[in-house]
Amino acid sequence: MSARIPHDASVNGHLVDGIFRYIFVATTACFIVVVVVMLVAVVFHRAGRGPAHYTHGKHQVSYVLTALVAAAIFVGVDLVAMRRSADDLRQHFWHFPDRDPAALRVEVTAQQWAWTFRYAGADGRFDTADDVVTLNELHVPVATPIYLKLRSKDVVHSFYLPNFRTKIDAVPGNTTRLWFEAREPGTFEIGCAQHCGVSHYKMRALLFSTSADDFQRWLARAAGDTALRRDTGPPVAIPDVDGWDWES
Amino acid sequence: MPADETAGGAGDEASGDGDADPADESQQAPRGWWRRYVFSTDHKTIAKQFLFLGLGFLAVGGFLAMLIRWQLANPGAPFPLVGKLLYGSSGGVISPAAYTALFTMHGTIMIFFAITPILIGAFGNFCIPLLIGARDMVFPRLNLLSFWSMFLSTAILTASFFVPLGAPQAGWTAYPTLSTAIGTPGLGQTLWTVAIYFNGASSIMGAVNYITTVIRLRAPGMGYFQMPLTVWGFWLTSILNALFVPVLAAGMVLLFFDRVFGTQFFIAGTAIRGGGDPILYQHLFWLFGHPEVYILILPAWGIVSDLLSFFARKPAFGYRVTVWSMIAVVVLSSLVYGHHMFVTGMSPMLGESFMLLTMIISVPAVVLFFNWLGTIWRGAMRTTPPMLFALGLVFTFAIGGLTGLFLADIEADVYLHDTYFVVGHFHLIMAAAVLLAAFAGIHYWFPKMFGRMMNGPLGKLHFWLTILPLNVVFCGQLLIGYAGMQRRLYDPSAYEFLRPLLELNRGISHAAFLLGAAQLIFVVNFFWSLARGRKAEPNPWQVGTLEWTVPSPPPHHNFDRIPIVRQGPHELGNPRVIEALGRDWLAQDEEMP
Repeated sequence: MSARIPHDASVNGHLVDGIFRYIFVATTACFIVVVVVMLVAVVFHRAGRGPAHYTHGKHQVSYVLTALVAAAIFVGVDLVAMRRSADDLRQHFWHFPDRDPAALRVEVTAQQWAWTFRYAGADGRFDTADDVVTLNELHVPVATPIYLKLRSKDVVHSFYLPNFRTKIDAVPGNTTRLWFEAREPGTFEIGCAQHCGVSHYKMRALLFSTSADDFQRWLARAAGDTALRRDTGPPVAIPDVDGWDWES
Repeated sequence: MPADETAGGAGDEASGDGDADPADESQQAPRGWWRRYVFSTDHKTIAKQFLFLGLGFLAVGGFLAMLIRWQLANPGAPFPLVGKLLYGSSGGVISPAAYTALFTMHGTIMIFFAITPILIGAFGNFCIPLLIGARDMVFPRLNLLSFWSMFLSTAILTASFFVPLGAPQAGWTAYPTLSTAIGTPGLGQTLWTVAIYFNGASSIMGAVNYITTVIRLRAPGMGYFQMPLTVWGFWLTSILNALFVPVLAAGMVLLFFDRVFGTQFFIAGTAIRGGGDPILYQHLFWLFGHPEVYILILPAWGIVSDLLSFFARKPAFGYRVTVWSMIAVVVLSSLVYGHHMFVTGMSPMLGESFMLLTMIISVPAVVLFFNWLGTIWRGAMRTTPPMLFALGLVFTFAIGGLTGLFLADIEADVYLHDTYFVVGHFHLIMAAAVLLAAFAGIHYWFPKMFGRMMNGPLGKLHFWLTILPLNVVFCGQLLIGYAGMQRRLYDPSAYEFLRPLLELNRGISHAAFLLGAAQLIFVVNFFWSLARGRKAEPNPWQVGTLEWTVPSPPPHHNFDRIPIVRQGPHELGNPRVIEALGRDWLAQDEEMP
């Protein structure tokens, strides 16, 4: 029996693991204090060992002690975690690479029970004839910010990257976004984290992170494949959900 | 005994007459069988009705949990014994559709049809009038209507199992658009919205009744700060119920309209930023749903705060601080619901506000723990079954509460959201802690309810065989979630990274089966004691709150004379009392010697 957190393949995932560790240590310390006090009371302060100590706990001392314990938790756990996380979120997770021309932009369309990924293609614009579209396969170059925008065709889904410590819902009628950066090549799983119907458990895709060169080679091949599929007839696409103007 | 504990009483808000008047019809038990046992307006009878209904559905919800755990331990294997009976067409194998119905109904039944009727319906009804020295609720007929609304709601929910396309499958949270006709066509999900609506109506009627009863019918001398903490718990819960269940009901009405009349409150259509908004439902649901957690845990806190004092034979430590902490939680609980929606693409500013407010709840929670530990410290503890269950609550609620901090932190939550970490966390609170409080309450008030004692040794056996597997199950879920497993997966092995977790999942399931089997001890104890238990004295636990000053079970009118309250609820171990009376407790209506 083992339960280990999935391997962290992202540039920023260690921040999540770090805050997790901090809260884990802080709460474990609190828990140990509670259990030790409880154990001592249960073992030693029992009936038959003399009368109970009569107090309503209304002395100045107990009020001050209560306030001190509460303040310690508030400052030591709440404020520290809040501060750290707010910094991490603002500087990294919520700091979207809007002005970064090097970032790779991908439009994600969720539907029961698959993920579609759309790359802008040679013209750099979405919802045009040269878009590259794949099903359940997201290819990304390493060491490049990957900027996703997500929409859903039917119900709420949640795009979940366990190896990158992140997820975001795909909501019908809405656009959500997410960015991450792979620090190493590899194949990783993409899951759906929001109950989306009977086959929710099968809504799985794969993420391939490769070197920049490999990625370009793959993109060229995928562009050809997409064009081939187009030749067989006009695609059945829902406007605004299967490809949309990135800035819309 | 400091003077200020008896000062500030509510003498001006006295209830009714001092003496029971035999000529007054409202104070006599009705004679007909239907009026007496079925359509009764007696709070004690209604309490028992809620108790039996809740325990029945607890068994059903528990059985559904066993089916879920079976599938997670042995994906795709036919369920043994009754599997063919339940899932004949698949030879006893639980199908993906059946599985989604299972976790949907497990959550719905446990929250709305087991915990709510047991804790709030049964104990709220039984305790409030007896503990504040009243003859009944202030609106007895509303009380009757509250129970029968709940009954109607259970009938509708039960019917949803047997309609074409089967039971509801949108999860207990029923997020649109999955819960609209787009995701779950069929009558089952529609019946679900109706059932939840009537369930809410029942809760609101109960809440109005409880709030008014506590304000109007406290016995003379009982100020708010002479109320047992149990009553505080129910009162604060009722305030939350009255404020926030209507929001859920509104959500249900809109969802019903979307499903039946083709409106689009929650359906976005194909246009982006046009049509309805599925997120609107999530706001409505969690604006109710987060207070709901406290709706269920506040009575548990109240009961446990009292029991720790009674069985440590010491006054509750820092009574007023405990009360103010509970009030603080009530206020905060309505300001934090957004943490359920951190990954919906919520505005960062809103997210950070919800994060800070959620974390601040740890402050009153820590104060509660401080006072609980202060109460049992240097006591003369009697480890009776009610006390064991109360201590069990403190233990599991510590884990459940502390793990909440991980989920309050957006950064950690983005990873943990919708994983088993969340499942473990809220089960430790809503299943473990609340259920332990329910068992504590049943063992504690059983003699007053039914006039017989429950079996102590069996109760202790039940406690140990519950607390041990229970923590294995729910802490195991925390671990599984930390390892990244999403909720509501029919077969986690669809994911490669989850395959190594199968062994741990199997371990959790075996602990869950043990937990389920151990509840049979409780069933045996409950029914055996009901029929054959030792006759209970008026005050078997030797405590001073008002319900123990009347016979077990109490007469129809509860109190021959409305008591005059002179003490706080926790006057235990006072040296003056011990010296003068030779016992370590003083009833609330007794003079200080």
